Amino acid sequence: MSEPAPERELHGREPMHRPWLGALAAGGVLVGLVVAFADLPDETAALPAIARRAMVQTLPKFRTTEPVSAVVYGFRAMDTFGETFLLLAAVVSVVVLTRTREPRRGFVGEERAGEEEQRRVDRGGSDEGSRTAREAEAEEEGLGDAPATPDDEPLATPAPERAEAMTVVTRTAVRVVLPLLAVAGCYLVSQGYSPGGGFPAGAVALGLVLLVHTAFGYRRIAPVVRPVVMEAVETVGALAIIVALLLGIPFAGSFAASWVPLAPEQTLRSGGILQVFSVSELVEVGSGLVIVVFALIGMRHDWAPDPESDGSEDDR
Amino acid sequence: MILVNYVVAAVVFSLGVYTILTRRNLLKIVMGLSLMESAGYVLLISMAYRRGSTAPVLLKPPPGETERSLARGNVADPVLQNIALTAVVIGVAVTAVLLTTVVRVAQHYRSLDADDVRGLRG
Amino acid sequence: MSLTGDAALLPVAVVAPITGAVLAPVLGRLSGRLALACSLVAMAVSALVLVSVAGTTYGGRVVVEHIGNWRPVHGTQLGVTFAADPFGLTFALLAAVIGAVLLLFTASELGDLGGRELGGFASLMQLLLAALIASGLTADILNLFVWFEVAALASYGLTAFFLERPIALEAAFKTMVLTNMAAFYVFVAIAVTYAGHGALNVGQVRAALGADPRSADLVALGLVVAGFGTKAGLVPFHGWLPDAHTAAPGPVSALFSGLMVNLGVLGIARFVTVTHALHRGQVMVLLTVVGGLSAVVGALMALVQDDLKRLLAYDTVSQMGVLVAALGVGTPESLTGMVYQLVNHALFKTLLFLCAGAIVHATGMTRLSEMGGLARHRPLVTVAFVVGVAAISGVPPMNGYVSLGLIHHAVETGHPVLLVALTLAQVVTVAALARATYLAFFRRRDDDYDRIEKPSVGMVVSFAVLAGGCVAFGALPGLVLDHLARPAASSLTAGGAYARAVLHYGGRLPLPEATFVYLDPMQLLVIGGTILPGLLLAARVVRHPGPRLMRPLQALHTGGVNDYATYAVLGAVVCVFGLVLT
Repeated sequence: MSEPAPERELHGREPMHRPWLGALAAGGVLVGLVVAFADLPDETAALPAIARRAMVQTLPKFRTTEPVSAVVYGFRAMDTFGETFLLLAAVVSVVVLTRTREPRRGFVGEERAGEEEQRRVDRGGSDEGSRTAREAEAEEEGLGDAPATPDDEPLATPAPERAEAMTVVTRTAVRVVLPLLAVAGCYLVSQGYSPGGGFPAGAVALGLVLLVHTAFGYRRIAPVVRPVVMEAVETVGALAIIVALLLGIPFAGSFAASWVPLAPEQTLRSGGILQVFSVSELVEVGSGLVIVVFALIGMRHDWAPDPESDGSEDDR
Repeated sequence: MILVNYVVAAVVFSLGVYTILTRRNLLKIVMGLSLMESAGYVLLISMAYRRGSTAPVLLKPPPGETERSLARGNVADPVLQNIALTAVVIGVAVTAVLLTTVVRVAQHYRSLDADDVRGLRG
Repeated sequence: MSLTGDAALLPVAVVAPITGAVLAPVLGRLSGRLALACSLVAMAVSALVLVSVAGTTYGGRVVVEHIGNWRPVHGTQLGVTFAADPFGLTFALLAAVIGAVLLLFTASELGDLGGRELGGFASLMQLLLAALIASGLTADILNLFVWFEVAALASYGLTAFFLERPIALEAAFKTMVLTNMAAFYVFVAIAVTYAGHGALNVGQVRAALGADPRSADLVALGLVVAGFGTKAGLVPFHGWLPDAHTAAPGPVSALFSGLMVNLGVLGIARFVTVTHALHRGQVMVLLTVVGGLSAVVGALMALVQDDLKRLLAYDTVSQMGVLVAALGVGTPESLTGMVYQLVNHALFKTLLFLCAGAIVHATGMTRLSEMGGLARHRPLVTVAFVVGVAAISGVPPMNGYVSLGLIHHAVETGHPVLLVALTLAQVVTVAALARATYLAFFRRRDDDYDRIEKPSVGMVVSFAVLAGGCVAFGALPGLVLDHLARPAASSLTAGGAYARAVLHYGGRLPLPEATFVYLDPMQLLVIGGTILPGLLLAARVVRHPGPRLMRPLQALHTGGVNDYATYAVLGAVVCVFGLVLT
């Protein structure tokens, strides 16, 4: 392990790009926005008619006590449908951007064009930048022999931390907190009390996975977050949403109509189609976010034509 | 209307625009976009407020009121909360893809300065 | 099938490609071509649903579906409404049909790429197409914004698809920054509209806006023009467009230029129709100014490009300028011409970009200065390219002749400056494309190509369909005018009727008046008058490349994201203050 890199010179002020012109443009935006906001109705104005209708019709139509969820998953289900697939587009974009090289058959002209463009870029680039980048990449290798937890390192080992997991204090705390958080997340989505249902619960699911990853190291979470597994889960969630909404057409006459029988309010099944949509949303959002985070963490250098590296394992 | 909130939203939005226009570090440009996003959230929640209102939840109404009367009472706007959720999801999705692209650009161009990333011009 | 039965299936036109997009990554693990085949099935289902309502819609009715059976009450609508009006349906049908052609082209040209990356590609393409179809069908401003964002996100992944090209990632970054800023403008505009009027349904917004504009509504309109103008690639919001369309794979560039930029025009058209009673004069002037400027700047920049796809991308900027200028003129004839030109542009621009993509994929060359003599090696691509160029130039048997003729005739009366700008843009466009054709295909090239691949079946079929479309839409102008262009323009000329239909259960749209005399001698003179100087200008630029007059304009396009963002923000500020202060 090399010594810590020498302190780089801190510039007094980072060079900015035409600050006066930027300030002028931003100032224009500010004035325009203030003009618009000053004209908005004030706090004593009546609630818009459609907001009032959402409040009044939530109980009779869905027998749930959460009007925001009723608006998100019921009245304006098409918006949420678009949202879900917006997240899917982001997940697939990140997966495409972070992918590793696959074997390709035949001649692909874009590869040759890419090589030429990279040559042009490398010629123009400064030597110092390339050298720093190569040093950083070299530092990232050779971490396979890291100790399992910081408790195994001798006291007063200098920074940076190289252990995979965290100390026994953190690990115990996480073991205690994890089931509580998991139950809280399930409660968020199941009782239908939280505005948004599946979305925040999906974020909680991601939080759980990240807690385990940070506290226990990548090896403990790897079997769960394998791309194959997570993509399958996400596909199941997305298909469940599509089927649940499509079934509205034969059973209730319209896409995303409320066809699931309603249960009494403040029970597990209250809300009918809202619950079905919300739970599928949890599955889809949670798995999608997990895919995104772990794709980002595990991104390799496969595509940069660097003759020295051969796509070695990144820091986990 | 809560004038301070609206002014804050406008100022943060403009700061975000200023950051994108003047900062050359790609990550700072991404942060500028995050600032614009956050201004959007502040704006939406401020617009939903009504004087003396309660949250738009029908759970456990205060004594003397039923859920139905609460629905007709003074509440904040639930539709704007739906719009805010939309904005949050969009923000998450876009930030994820932006950060991935910045990493890839850094791998190719070996620099995070926008002036070095100018292969396509003219 | 009854009318209500058809309407309930409208969302299926959006759900089918989305289902394909969900399944594509899984199928890609088995085989790339399987994922693409499934996507073709999905697009076919979607096109079928759209065609099933086309008969009613092009007959002059709006087919309305209130999703989830959440119906309007007392003129207010909480739920989302889908409405198949002729203009939106045209947009959606173009996306479905041309999208299917592009997927076929991908399956044959790019079918040898890895399975998992093709699965991701198919997924993103279908999400983009689904978003375009939904944007055409939706009658709700928040829903339009959501689908606009879906299209944007899918486009980011598609732009950066070939990770080995550094310009792909650079272009993706610039696209992301500029398109996101545009999305925030539109978002603020929608939030302000809802807060001011409590309306999200297009019909309800129109009723609520009334005749007296408030500053908030004017700012919202300016922000909408800026935001959707960025998507359409209008000057000065266009910085990202040439970069993205150059760096993306061939079929993707075709999709962007042929279909996705139209989303910007659709957005502007819907909002301007909605706020018809509101300050109509000023916003129309703004649109003609922005449109005319884009037409001229796009054409001039195209003239001096070395990269073939970048040249075509600047030409897209110019064509979008023509469309928006025609929208700004606002007469029934100009709106008919605009819709006709939109369809034609989708056809011939897709064709040109597919040719360019085929060249890059087969030879690895992107620069005109290195190409040459392709007419001998790839006669099919040459013929397709020449058909596309003839269509843009407005040569009589092709479709450009009719639509350009309509637009020019409409602009002649009352907009002299715009007429000059559009004519100049047309001359320079012809010059740019003639130069490209000569340099890439017909110029003699001494050394042979070391690698050049054979054409594939899918490519032949795609070219045949698109070129055939160009010829068909040009050879049957009477049919197209009466059954497609005029009904589609009726959504824009009869904005009030559309708004009322969307708040109820459908309605009729009266047809606008527009006629076209095919062999009008004045028309032929104008076409000849633009083609001949265009060819002369092309010859001059080929002999003396890099004209000094263009250097200042080229220097403005620095390639830095800060600069492009500055131009865009200044443009947005001008739009907003232009509307508020006048």
